[in-house]
Amino acid sequence: MDQQAIFLSFRLAGITTLILLGISIPLGYWLAYGRARWKPLVEAAVALPLVLPPTVLGFYLLVLMGPRTALGRTVSVVLGHPLAFSFAGLLTGSVIFSLPFAVQPMTSGFRSIDREILEAAQLLSAQPARILLRVLLPLVRPFLLTAAVLAFTHTVGEFGVVLMIGGGIPGVTKTLSISIYDQVQDFAYAQANHTALLLLGVSFLALLVIYGRGSRAHV
Amino acid sequence: MFKPRWSILLTLLFLAAAQSSCCAQQSGTLKVAAAADLQPVLPALIDQFAQQTGQKVDASYASSATLATQILNGGPFGLFLSADLSFPQKVVAAGLADSAAPVPYARGTLVLWARNDSPAQPLSLDSLRSPSLRTVAVANAEHAPYGRAAKAALAKLGLTDALQSKLVVAENIAQTAQYADSGNADVGLISLTSALTTRLSADGKYVAIPEDSYPPLLQGAVVIKGPAAAQAHRLLDFLLSPPIRKQLAERGLKAP
Repeated sequence: MDQQAIFLSFRLAGITTLILLGISIPLGYWLAYGRARWKPLVEAAVALPLVLPPTVLGFYLLVLMGPRTALGRTVSVVLGHPLAFSFAGLLTGSVIFSLPFAVQPMTSGFRSIDREILEAAQLLSAQPARILLRVLLPLVRPFLLTAAVLAFTHTVGEFGVVLMIGGGIPGVTKTLSISIYDQVQDFAYAQANHTALLLLGVSFLALLVIYGRGSRAHV
Repeated sequence: MFKPRWSILLTLLFLAAAQSSCCAQQSGTLKVAAAADLQPVLPALIDQFAQQTGQKVDASYASSATLATQILNGGPFGLFLSADLSFPQKVVAAGLADSAAPVPYARGTLVLWARNDSPAQPLSLDSLRSPSLRTVAVANAEHAPYGRAAKAALAKLGLTDALQSKLVVAENIAQTAQYADSGNADVGLISLTSALTTRLSADGKYVAIPEDSYPPLLQGAVVIKGPAAAQAHRLLDFLLSPPIRKQLAERGLKAP
């Protein structure tokens, strides 16, 4: 089994999940309670990765963010290298690709909170940050777990984007899904089977965690 | 959440299913599994073949290993045009071929290519030794024959260790060219067929890799057993005919 790829995939998924939780808590809160008229625009944009083929994202990351555009050159200067063929590139792709898997559960979570609890907290004149930390987050904890598990597993399962912008560098961009693909191409079916079984087990357990709590939180 | 009307949804699904089953059964169309280095070359030849014989041909392009895997697992192809002899040999060994051995139909050439604005310009083989070179795109040595050739050539030129950390690996030789042409990689070890396309000739330059530095890229074809075998033999004979051989040579594939 390709241990380097396992480590890389889990590291990529872990960092992606942390970033996505940081984005999805404020964004989910805003999508649940915000009143801006252009909110549907944001909702539609967040959901885009659900419907678009990963190749669309791969194409834009490779070409639009590549060294032939001003945007890509800026990224290159900031990072010190082009986005393609780097861990930072995969991270960028993963965050975009898994965005709806983290934001949508959080939005549902915030929406499920009884308005009266929120109003009571506001009446007691608690600071907004305090309300978020002490009242809202404990209430949406099951949704937070769902968002984290889905973001993590979906990133581990990412393939198309990585195949297009990764460049198969061991330990940097050669993730588990690419490793399985390569093993199948090389007719190493036994190895592919080992890696695939591991992924199957981990993914099933992760989903079991979510559905095991299903009686408490409906998502 | 909105609730779709299930009757409408089911009708749409049914229509989609009916549509796909109608077109998957396009009998008469010959399906060809073609190595990625043929992508810039084959479409024009298929058109000529269709004009001469009225036979429609659909080609799928991928790395030779991908195609071999698909064929060994029942891929619906009539003809397999590999970029080497070993993958079609696997098809023969599995008893799926309509011939006793792969038929060599062309010989590929490996070149070093860089965009005109690449830091590797002016391009020469010595560009590979430059410390300022950041990335070299190659095809996967395990499943793309050009990748295998690139690996052998780099070893022969004594560059394996120096370039180890600079290599980015593409899935097939067409993607290798894409990595270099999009500027994401400074240089690429690509097929001559890609380097000779109008797009890449306009965007950059190539230098040949010495032919004695890698095993010859002999490309083999096998006809797959099945109802399409007769048409597949006809297309293979067409590709082996002298006028087509000449066209292949002009586009980067020498006679075997």
